[in-house]
Amino acid sequence: MNSPNVPVIAVESISKWYGSVVAVNDVSLEIGPGITGLLGPNGAGKTTLLKMVEGLAAPSDGAVTIFGETPRNNPALHRRVGVMSEHEAVYGFQTGKQFVEWSAKLHGVTASAEATACAIERVGLADAQNRPLGTYSRGMRQRMRLAATIVHEPEAIILDEPLNGTDPRQRIEFHDLMRHLADEGRTILISSHILEEVETLADRILLMVSGKLAASGDYRAIRAKLDEQPYTVRIVSSDPRRLAAALVVLDSIASVSLGAENDVIVLSTNVAVLQRSLSRIAQGHNLRLERVEPLDDSLESVFSYIVEG
Amino acid sequence: MAEIFRLSLRQILGRWRVLVILLLAALPSLLILLIKLLSEAQFTFADDDIINPIIDGMIVGGILPIVTMALATAAFGNELEDKTLYYLVLKPVSRVSIVLAKLLATLVVAVPLVMASGVVASALVGAETRPLGTLALALAAGVAAYAAIFTFAGLLTPRALAYGLVYVLVWEGLLSTIVSGVGYLSVRGYTLALLHGMDEESFAAFTGRVIEFPAAIVGTGVVIVAFFLLALYRLRTMDVP
Repeated sequence: MNSPNVPVIAVESISKWYGSVVAVNDVSLEIGPGITGLLGPNGAGKTTLLKMVEGLAAPSDGAVTIFGETPRNNPALHRRVGVMSEHEAVYGFQTGKQFVEWSAKLHGVTASAEATACAIERVGLADAQNRPLGTYSRGMRQRMRLAATIVHEPEAIILDEPLNGTDPRQRIEFHDLMRHLADEGRTILISSHILEEVETLADRILLMVSGKLAASGDYRAIRAKLDEQPYTVRIVSSDPRRLAAALVVLDSIASVSLGAENDVIVLSTNVAVLQRSLSRIAQGHNLRLERVEPLDDSLESVFSYIVEG
Repeated sequence: MAEIFRLSLRQILGRWRVLVILLLAALPSLLILLIKLLSEAQFTFADDDIINPIIDGMIVGGILPIVTMALATAAFGNELEDKTLYYLVLKPVSRVSIVLAKLLATLVVAVPLVMASGVVASALVGAETRPLGTLALALAAGVAAYAAIFTFAGLLTPRALAYGLVYVLVWEGLLSTIVSGVGYLSVRGYTLALLHGMDEESFAAFTGRVIEFPAAIVGTGVVIVAFFLLALYRLRTMDVP
């Protein structure tokens, strides 16, 4: 494993532009062992950044190293790195087992059959391993791709939106597996555009917005900062008037109004408190909550709070 | 490299295109059988009426480039289209091995197909062993040259098949036959010159209109090496989707 004082992944003032479009703008970061979440809305530049880190794309400016080596055109380095791209395509004619074993062999794993069996067991797909990948559900395909990513026991693992298509139970299993791999001293970088996906998983968060690194650090500190921002939330319930009356007295509510569609529009100064209060109010007033949804265009506005804040 | 070769072979063979290619490769033989069935005339391999339209026009000018193009552009084209190329380039495998494996997979399928297409059609009109052997060798060299060109093209653009068809029809099909000098820069020109150079007697119909035999050997070798290196360079410098 890597020396504790040397970052496994080091990115120095990296930029990537396509013509006049700047996809990643002067990003610097260092990543060590443990789980790091790369968070940002769609189009923030996460995938472009990861492609440069993986060596799939050349930076327009700046430099990337993994274990002190440049990843671009460095096949030997990939013995130590496992990558799962955002593209979910697989070779549909291969069975899951063939796919993982193929990956093991190309990575130079000597006991490829044993390593394949172990990796497939880890993602819980032993029963489906002899079926062609073309017959898998999206979630199963993602898990088998993960098995192929970790079959050579890489020290650094880079996963781009790995939870796309997975169900809640699979996400829990994925979290357990990632935590286990991190506990073994591996460096794991996971990208996601969904806050909750990495909330309980990542030790450290990197927030990207519009091609720039907007914030980085402990998740709880970032979450607290997010929670302090005002949110507009739409709530559909069995009795909007009674719900509005119950909400308006809360300290965390700046304003409450009744919408045109039997809904309540709430401006909350602390969305975490609102979340906790809602279920209590619904229970206490015997109300049925049918829908609770943010009206702030989700992550885009949340991340802009961070950038502007 | 064996793993990538096997995968590439499976990718090439697993598609509908193989059926179309098989039909295409069988076309000269089917045509000759049809003519034999409907006509009283007796054909021999050395007749200008066979050599020019069937060997030059149909096999060297049509089947050879089109069959090879359909297979070679798919070697990387499928990976780029499906966005699976990253599985290959993020493995501890040299870029040379990747390009070589793709090229070999194309050759393993295309060489026997094109060879069979030319040899069976020629045998049907009474070609003897020597011209058949010459034809097989020259077609194999032509397949290798086209395979290198179109493997590179498949890495360069997702529309390699369309651009390739224009190149085959305009450059190789039209210009190489009407503009003198283009034969020095044409795989069709090399292949015809190789046929003529290896067996002047059987392919006497090409006398006076093909380039020199040594130039054809050098030209074929240069095309194979140059386009292999170009494909390698492209794979090293491109941003992989």
